[in-house]
Amino acid sequence: MAVVSTRNLTKVFKEGELGAVNNVNLETREGEFLVFLGPSGSGKTTLLRMIAGLETPTAGEILIGGKVVNDLTPRERRIAMVFQSYALYPHLTVYKNIAFPLKAQNVPKDQHKQKVEWASSLLGIGDLLQRKPRELSGGERQRVALARAIVREPSVFLLDEPLSNLDAKLRLSAREELERFHRRVGTTTIYVTHDQVEAMAMGDRIVVLNKGVVRQLGSPKEVYDDPADTFVATFLGSPPMNLIENADVICGFRPEHFRLAEDMKETAKINFQFRVENMEYLGAEYILSGNIVGGKVDGKKVIARLLLGHSFELGKTYDFAVPERHLKFFDVKTEVKVAPRPLTWQ
Amino acid sequence: MAVATGKIKSMGAAKSPLLGFAMFSPAILYIVLVIGLPFVMAVFYAFSDARIGSNELHFVGLENFRSIIQSPSFQKSLQNSIVFTIASQVIVMVCANILAIALEKPFRGRGLVRFLILLPWVAPVSLGTIGWKWILDSIYSVITWVLVWLHLVKPFDTPMWLGEPRLAMTSVVLVHCWRLIPFSTVILLAGRTAIPKEIPEAAAIDGAGFWRTTFQINLPMMKPIIAVALLFGTIFTFTDMTVVYILTAGGPFDSTQTLPSFAFATGITGSDLAAGAAVSVFLVPVLVLIAYLMLRMAHRAEMA
Amino acid sequence: MKDGKKGKGVSRRDFMKIAGIGGVGAGVVGPAFIFPERAAAQQKTLKILQWSHFVPAWDEWFNKTSTVEWGQKNNTTVTVDNINLVDLKTRAASEVSAKKGHDLFMFLSPPAAYENQVIDMTNVYKEVEKKHGKKIDLAHKSTYNPKTKKYFAFSDAYTPDPGNYHKEWWAEAGYPNGPDTWDDLRAGAKKIRDKNGHPCGLGLSQELDSSMAMRALLWSFGGAEQDENGNVVLNSKNTIEALKFMKALYQESETAEVFTWTPPSNNQAMLAGRVSFVANAISISRQSEREKMPIDSKIGISQALKGPVRRIAAEHVMNCYVVWEFAENKDGAQKFLIDYMDHFHDGFVAGQFYNFPCFPKTVPDLKTEISNDPRSNPPDRYKVLGNVLDWATNVGYPGYASAAIDEAFTTFVIPTMFAKVARGDETPENAAAAAHKEYQRIFDRFK
Repeated sequence: MAVVSTRNLTKVFKEGELGAVNNVNLETREGEFLVFLGPSGSGKTTLLRMIAGLETPTAGEILIGGKVVNDLTPRERRIAMVFQSYALYPHLTVYKNIAFPLKAQNVPKDQHKQKVEWASSLLGIGDLLQRKPRELSGGERQRVALARAIVREPSVFLLDEPLSNLDAKLRLSAREELERFHRRVGTTTIYVTHDQVEAMAMGDRIVVLNKGVVRQLGSPKEVYDDPADTFVATFLGSPPMNLIENADVICGFRPEHFRLAEDMKETAKINFQFRVENMEYLGAEYILSGNIVGGKVDGKKVIARLLLGHSFELGKTYDFAVPERHLKFFDVKTEVKVAPRPLTWQ
Repeated sequence: MAVATGKIKSMGAAKSPLLGFAMFSPAILYIVLVIGLPFVMAVFYAFSDARIGSNELHFVGLENFRSIIQSPSFQKSLQNSIVFTIASQVIVMVCANILAIALEKPFRGRGLVRFLILLPWVAPVSLGTIGWKWILDSIYSVITWVLVWLHLVKPFDTPMWLGEPRLAMTSVVLVHCWRLIPFSTVILLAGRTAIPKEIPEAAAIDGAGFWRTTFQINLPMMKPIIAVALLFGTIFTFTDMTVVYILTAGGPFDSTQTLPSFAFATGITGSDLAAGAAVSVFLVPVLVLIAYLMLRMAHRAEMA
Repeated sequence: MKDGKKGKGVSRRDFMKIAGIGGVGAGVVGPAFIFPERAAAQQKTLKILQWSHFVPAWDEWFNKTSTVEWGQKNNTTVTVDNINLVDLKTRAASEVSAKKGHDLFMFLSPPAAYENQVIDMTNVYKEVEKKHGKKIDLAHKSTYNPKTKKYFAFSDAYTPDPGNYHKEWWAEAGYPNGPDTWDDLRAGAKKIRDKNGHPCGLGLSQELDSSMAMRALLWSFGGAEQDENGNVVLNSKNTIEALKFMKALYQESETAEVFTWTPPSNNQAMLAGRVSFVANAISISRQSEREKMPIDSKIGISQALKGPVRRIAAEHVMNCYVVWEFAENKDGAQKFLIDYMDHFHDGFVAGQFYNFPCFPKTVPDLKTEISNDPRSNPPDRYKVLGNVLDWATNVGYPGYASAAIDEAFTTFVIPTMFAKVARGDETPENAAAAAHKEYQRIFDRFK
């Protein structure tokens, strides 16, 4: 087990251009599952590849287990990585794929069989050992990739979007499997994804990245409930947080906190007239989108998410409200979180 | 543009097979006239008593083959062809792989280096070989001149690059390699770039060093493309007579004579067309088998 | 080959028709094929192909004087194409395959293989002999097939193959007039080699000059490829003696360069002052004269070396003109040859005595002329060639230059045999037996 940390880590691919990763300072905790979350181009994969040793940092340091590893090869960093494409060796059988790291790191030959069997049984692929990768399904390939990663018991796991090549159904079960697997081996894991649901579900903590900069680092709950800026606020959650500019701040509230006023028990709340323009029925809930009517923010588009139990008509206006404690405040210019303040809405 | 393409496609594919045939016919014509017809004639001649200068042909069965097999020059040529092909292919494959690895990663001036390496292939083979003939000449060799100048050899006991059987064979092989390496390098470079870059990265993370990655990951994955390069190289080498003909004309005393050069000497200059044809088609069954096995290997490896 | 089997076979011409125009030599068809009218216009054409002469002045005379004058007299446009001598056979093969090409084609060796593709030259010989007397036996043996009684070619000239030696070194070695016998050659060459390192340059390569030199050696020791009647007699005690001699000569006085040579190589080696002796035509000293090289005064010419049995050497090259059966202007080609012999002496002079006459009466004062050569220093350098007819003979001696002899010649069986023994890769006995077997194999193919 080891802790990975970065100090002012920066990667600039082309001189004079904006860095892919800028000044990143992070530290994992022992045995935690840390997720790098961000849209494509946010620098999350580059950051991971620098930690793996596949990319040389332009500036800054990477530490694994307290040691600077900038000049170490991937082999010397004692990490394991699972690639988005799994990068299985197509000409080798599953057994040889899994045994490859053992061979490469000169583990005595008599231990190979036992270790491969251990890793493959952990992932339930014991009966696939003599197959070639092309004879495996997507889920099986992912498990082989994982087995190959754990077989030499690395100090850190790096996973680069390992679920993105699976179809939706398989993805859910694979996700659960990964979580269970992590609980079992307890190795420090860094997981890269652009899927906020995955991040929320799996991460002990989430690092939200945008344009090579860390926007927020926190537990899923912190990141969701208390976003550090408007980027985090809108990137997480589906549908995203409603943002309404009022005076010198941006106010935000989650769609699920925008409800019919009559259902609301809270007394400290802000009332809005909401005209429903569109309605999506999702089985367990509605997604309503429409405009606020009247008041200071007349005409602003907002989205509401409601459980079933009411019926709405398109074009009609309803009494809606947001509990005050669920209002978030961001600076208009910097878009960074600021302290709550009283505002007039009418 | 898109409309036009679509039109041609639909015409070619469904409505008018004639267009497809018309587009294809130059290639077919070329193959039939330049390869097919001479080949059929060669096979035909090999079973006849054809001579340059004779007016009629008779079928003589395997007589030509029976006759040439007894010729010491033929036996030597057969042996030399095999040595020539295997030796040059081994060298070509090793060098082309090294070059492909060296040229894969970008560096300053890579474009220029790639261009220079390609030159021997682009230049007409006869010109390049004549250049080598001068370089290896018995009187005017620059290599010998330098060696003499460095006092490494005595002026009248210089190595005869094309005069000693072993040296001559080595020279012929190396000149042929010089010409063929660029071709194989280009093929192998294409093969290397076709390997997804995560695979060697995964190997690096798994702890494999350069040699292990090269020999256990990259090369096995390039098997199909190596097979193709090897197949082409083998056929180019086996059927090539330019290098041998210009450098040594088969000498000294047949020690670099290969089947194509011997076929030429017998069939054309010796005017015994039938024997020449028999020499030249002698190994066709073997070559076809080699081609078949290599293509099958390439196909299998590709499926893997 | 023609007799007996007739009727059974497919005619080649038919095959070519079925197959369309064969790939080989298709290029030659070009112009005449596209403009058949032009070829048949009032002004006749005569197309000649021959080698690029080793003495360029001869080409100059032939191309710009001789043929031009004849053309004006005979209302004919004469074109002459000159190609490298090593390409002659290839070119001939492609012309025959395409059944198109030149009217007059000159080989440098007896082209017996082409007998069925060429017209009989008996008439040309007859016409020429009326004016210029009998041809020499060398010409007869090189162009006549005794079985079919056909002259398949016409020889106007041949070139002697004397020795060329470095006068200074040979004088130092005790041979001021160069070697006279093969034993002289061996002893003198060894002395020179031992003293100053310069090797002897008797070729052992797969090329023309080596082929001729090795035949001279073979015959001088009493060996031969065939007898008068065309039976293979190569494997003999005499052949083995010749082989032993060459092995000793090579190991004492030569270097491996002789295995690498092409026809010009021994010229270069002699002119570069590298070797002490080569067997070659007079093109070497002609070049040193023309280019006023310092080595010119040191090059001496010796007649064929005398062996234990006889003094003999092959012609160096044998001019053999053929007229293709399919030539467009056969009459013109024959008339040209007959008329050309009237001016042979001009060519003899223009070619700086390279082309020796097959009709001795065309150059009646040959001995005097070659003994007083204004270009040469000394003027009598070539005097030794005066008795050349005593020792020059044809390939295939003592028999005819048959097609089988030609195939064995072009596949270099003789120089290969000598080279293997010289290097010690084969014993003289085994090499002679193997070469004999190969000759027998080739001869069998013509039965």
